[in-house]
Amino acid sequence: MSIVARNLIKEVGDPASRIISNINLVINDGEFISISGRSGSGKSTLLYLLSTLDQPTSGELIINEKQITTLSVEEIHHFRNKHLGFVFQFHYLLPELNAIENVLMPARKNNQIEEKTEYAHELFKIFDIENKKNKLPGQLSGGEQQRVAIARALIMKPSYLFADEPTGNLDSKNGNIVMNILKETNLHLKTTVILVTHEPEYSAMADREIILIDGVIKQNQTRKNTIKNISDKTKFKKTITKKKL
Amino acid sequence: MLFLALRHLFSRKKQTILIFLGISLGTMMYTVISGMQEGMKEFVEERLMSNTSHIKISAREQTIKVKEMTELFFPDAGNYTDIEKKEKTFVRWLVPPYGQREEAHIIYPQGWFDRLRENNDVIDYAPTLSLNVIITKGKSRYASSITGIIPERHERVMSIEKYIQTGNLKDLQGGGSKVIAGKQLLENIGARLGDTILLSVGTGELKPLKIVGIIDFGVKHLDARTLLAHLTDVQKLNKTPGQISEISVSLYQMEKSQIIADQWKKIATDNVESWQEANANFLQIFRFQDIVRDVVTIAMLIVAGFGIYNVLSITINQKKKEIAILRSMGFTPRHIIELFLIQGVILGITGALVGLLAGFSTNLYMATIELGSEGNKIMISHSIIIYITAFLLAFISAVLASILPSFSAGKLTPIDIIRSEV
Repeated sequence: MSIVARNLIKEVGDPASRIISNINLVINDGEFISISGRSGSGKSTLLYLLSTLDQPTSGELIINEKQITTLSVEEIHHFRNKHLGFVFQFHYLLPELNAIENVLMPARKNNQIEEKTEYAHELFKIFDIENKKNKLPGQLSGGEQQRVAIARALIMKPSYLFADEPTGNLDSKNGNIVMNILKETNLHLKTTVILVTHEPEYSAMADREIILIDGVIKQNQTRKNTIKNISDKTKFKKTITKKKL
Repeated sequence: MLFLALRHLFSRKKQTILIFLGISLGTMMYTVISGMQEGMKEFVEERLMSNTSHIKISAREQTIKVKEMTELFFPDAGNYTDIEKKEKTFVRWLVPPYGQREEAHIIYPQGWFDRLRENNDVIDYAPTLSLNVIITKGKSRYASSITGIIPERHERVMSIEKYIQTGNLKDLQGGGSKVIAGKQLLENIGARLGDTILLSVGTGELKPLKIVGIIDFGVKHLDARTLLAHLTDVQKLNKTPGQISEISVSLYQMEKSQIIADQWKKIATDNVESWQEANANFLQIFRFQDIVRDVVTIAMLIVAGFGIYNVLSITINQKKKEIAILRSMGFTPRHIIELFLIQGVILGITGALVGLLAGFSTNLYMATIELGSEGNKIMISHSIIIYITAFLLAFISAVLASILPSFSAGKLTPIDIIRSEV
């Protein structure tokens, strides 16, 4: 189980300009990877290529032994629903639905609401937003909204979690909370996390740091001493491991 | 996606209600106007059909034409190619011949009877003879017309039976100087059931007839001039045994009457007229009314349709990032199309249903309104076809209006939306 990218190239515009050139990358199961670089370096584009939301101009992408580029529209959406979770800089919650309905939205696709409701409640408890379950997104703070968005990304227990600057719109306190959640998700749920960030502090929490410059990988380094988390948060571990999720 | 579609609709209540009202009003308008028009149409058509058969064969008025007379008396005139001779035999009438040759009647009725009996489209036919008569009662005189019928045939061709208030069409059977008279006519001449009236065709001779029935079409000018008697009685009155002036024909398929009438016209020397031709001016009015109704309804629905189109387009624009996140969650383009199409369909169905209900109750109310003092009420048709058409019109226009924006939403890709947002 892994993500394998071979000779990924992404060109846009006419005449074509290359945003991503010839990227070869293997992401193993359970890794926490950060992609960083300046704005315009192509880090977000790489994330979207790896997460099937964008199609490469050429090259191969294989996730869980599946050749993504050959999948049909239905298959690719089914795959996304089952195996991939997304967190964006903006929470993108649906304003008409309350927090718990937002979280259960991915489950709605396969009529799995009932099976997933219990897990949703747990996630709310772990993320410390239990009392906000029935609030509409407009009634939540930015940090709370982002936590709801992460819960939504995790509800289907995806193998991979893609986060595009999830802290970009948050103050440092809420940013820390979000990063802790990502880190603990990786540690305890064994979810592979791919994080795009330009904040070195958060980037340092990853097992492996990839630095992009002008669409080319300049550094692909595994850290020896990763920062486990910023403030000690044990609640996550307790609840999750107890339930053997 | 029904769940989310409903949430979308409820989250913008004002717009939803406005569009909903637009569709309802359009549907209601259609049902009410149609109900009235169809009701009137049914009323008029029924009255017309009681007096008009599917096809009417009538005698041609035989007017005298100068050319025919010239050819008859001077067969050589006009046949010369030689100019000189032609001038010699040129006919100039001092008083050109004019007038009618004889009373209009069907020249060879038996031929028609044979033909009609063998025709598979024909249910039955009824020969009649109509005359202008003068009614004498005491000292007063009154002009009317009398129609001689064969009762057992006539009732199969025209729906006349149900307008007979007192008596029965069969009372006329076998002749015997009996007559069924219009209600208004009796009032006018001051006669009652059982009275005897004297009729003359203008020859001075008076023939007594006994009133055995009263007929009431509900149309004044008809009721003031209707006298029905047995065909043989009328023929005797006129002293023309065997003569008939009209043959009424009923067909299995009323719609085919025009086609069949056209065929017969080609071979007949008599006038052949379908009921459509006989009532052409009424049918024109109906057609005009239909057009007015359709234009009004379509205008309303177009406005409502544009409402749907606009609101959906604006919504889709505002909700681009939500579309992106739905796609990243694994909802396919088809789901997105569904999400917005459902909203249009819901508006269409609920709006139409409420409009139908409102239209139906309005129609029920209108049917109780009395016109004038005679107790005549507005005729309202409750034909199911009106309601089905109204529903389909509203539904289809709602679907059409939501198809375009929905498909454009389905075409959006998550990456384009995310890029344009950040």
